[in-house]
Amino acid sequence: MARRSKGLSAVRQYRLLLGKDLRQEFRTLDLLSSMLIYAVLVIIVYGASLATGAADADIAPLSGGLLWALIVFTSLLGLNRSFAHEREQGALEGILLAPLDRGAVYLAKATSNLLFMLVTEVIAVPLYFFFMASGVTASTVGWLALVLLVGTVGMAGIGTMLATITAHTRGRDVLLAVLFIPLIFPLLYACASATTAAIVGGAFWMDTYSLGLMLAGAYDAIMLAVCWWLYDFVIGA
Amino acid sequence: MTPAIETTRLCKTFDTRRAVDNVSVAVPAGAFVSVFGPNGAGKTTLLRMLVTLSRPSSGTARVAGYDVRKQADEVRARIGLVGHQPMLYPDLTLEENLRFFARLYGVEGPDARVAELLAAVGLKHRRLDQVRTFSRGMLQRAAIARALVNDPDVLFLDEPYTGLDQHAAEVLDDLVDGLVGKRTVVMVSHDLDKGFELCTHALVLARGRVVSFGAKQDLGADEFAARYRAAINAGVA
Repeated sequence: MARRSKGLSAVRQYRLLLGKDLRQEFRTLDLLSSMLIYAVLVIIVYGASLATGAADADIAPLSGGLLWALIVFTSLLGLNRSFAHEREQGALEGILLAPLDRGAVYLAKATSNLLFMLVTEVIAVPLYFFFMASGVTASTVGWLALVLLVGTVGMAGIGTMLATITAHTRGRDVLLAVLFIPLIFPLLYACASATTAAIVGGAFWMDTYSLGLMLAGAYDAIMLAVCWWLYDFVIGA
Repeated sequence: MTPAIETTRLCKTFDTRRAVDNVSVAVPAGAFVSVFGPNGAGKTTLLRMLVTLSRPSSGTARVAGYDVRKQADEVRARIGLVGHQPMLYPDLTLEENLRFFARLYGVEGPDARVAELLAAVGLKHRRLDQVRTFSRGMLQRAAIARALVNDPDVLFLDEPYTGLDQHAAEVLDDLVDGLVGKRTVVMVSHDLDKGFELCTHALVLARGRVVSFGAKQDLGADEFAARYRAAINAGVA
């Protein structure tokens, strides 16, 4: 007779799946190294092109948008590779064969993607502001960190869902980008405007910032709930 | 006695093509069923529905007494699958892989179970090596260990001998021999001699339909061979 399950809770399943993703990544550093290298290269390209084309211009109003462009494309790179280990020897089917809460599978993958994106941002964002010589002061660092966190949570959640859909398709790299960018557009717009408000400052910067953050937070909540709810169907298909 | 597997008018349709067409079979507990048929006969599609990886388009299937659609988690807890891929994480060691899956199934005493399986498949000496470094034969043995981690009532083997050299096939023979009579086994095979030698029941499919299903003792090798030839002559789906 089969060894019966101890009735593993969804939380324990989540911790097991997340632990496996982290162990695997810290052993190979596949995802983190490629995301970091890509981010640094984009920053160098930004620096070089702005130094030659807009040396005397005030780039502070642009820096929020440029920062989010960097984050979006770096995240896409990571998301595209987030199912590489599962694809290689069919391990995703091994997971699907186990009596698991599919919501836990989604949350674990989204969390690992979020952590890898945050680690990349912790290194890349200070570099970005250093090279861009933008006027970030100590008082705005906290506000920037908050909007980065809210935006990254949404991108990890939406991106994990889409990466699952595209994991076994041909041309998945392009397909993920085509699906991901329109779907995160409201989030991107809200985060970029909040980030720019925090960097530029001004009399009413907090109003713009709060509105952007609120919109981003609300979009996160709605999209994460939808993704979590749909995941069982998506991963089964 | 409840059959280990029971399907009633089971169908799977892809667009307009019927890959599995009205399959109704009842497999007694403890049987070893070999599934034969030409390429495209629907063998793997049938298997994927029975292991809950694919949803039936119509009809019903019960495995280990549970409905594959309505009680998928109950089915999953009681089955194992050795598929075309090993379903392991290549950058984790074999021991880490097996421990991960044992915990995922909520197996009590996962470390002891892993040690037991490593000894059973003869890979104890490679337990600390990353799965990526394994040969095809070792991968197949590792896949069998993974499939047995929850001590399943019903084990599904999808062409387990494919790509194995003589020695690896002999090692696998011993492993499969050890399973006979201890649990219900369903093996998809292209090797008529080996499949017929091992089985207690033979199922022949062609164009998604059952051509023949019965106990080996009732069928006889000659009659089976004749029916299989008829299935081949029916053409590739």
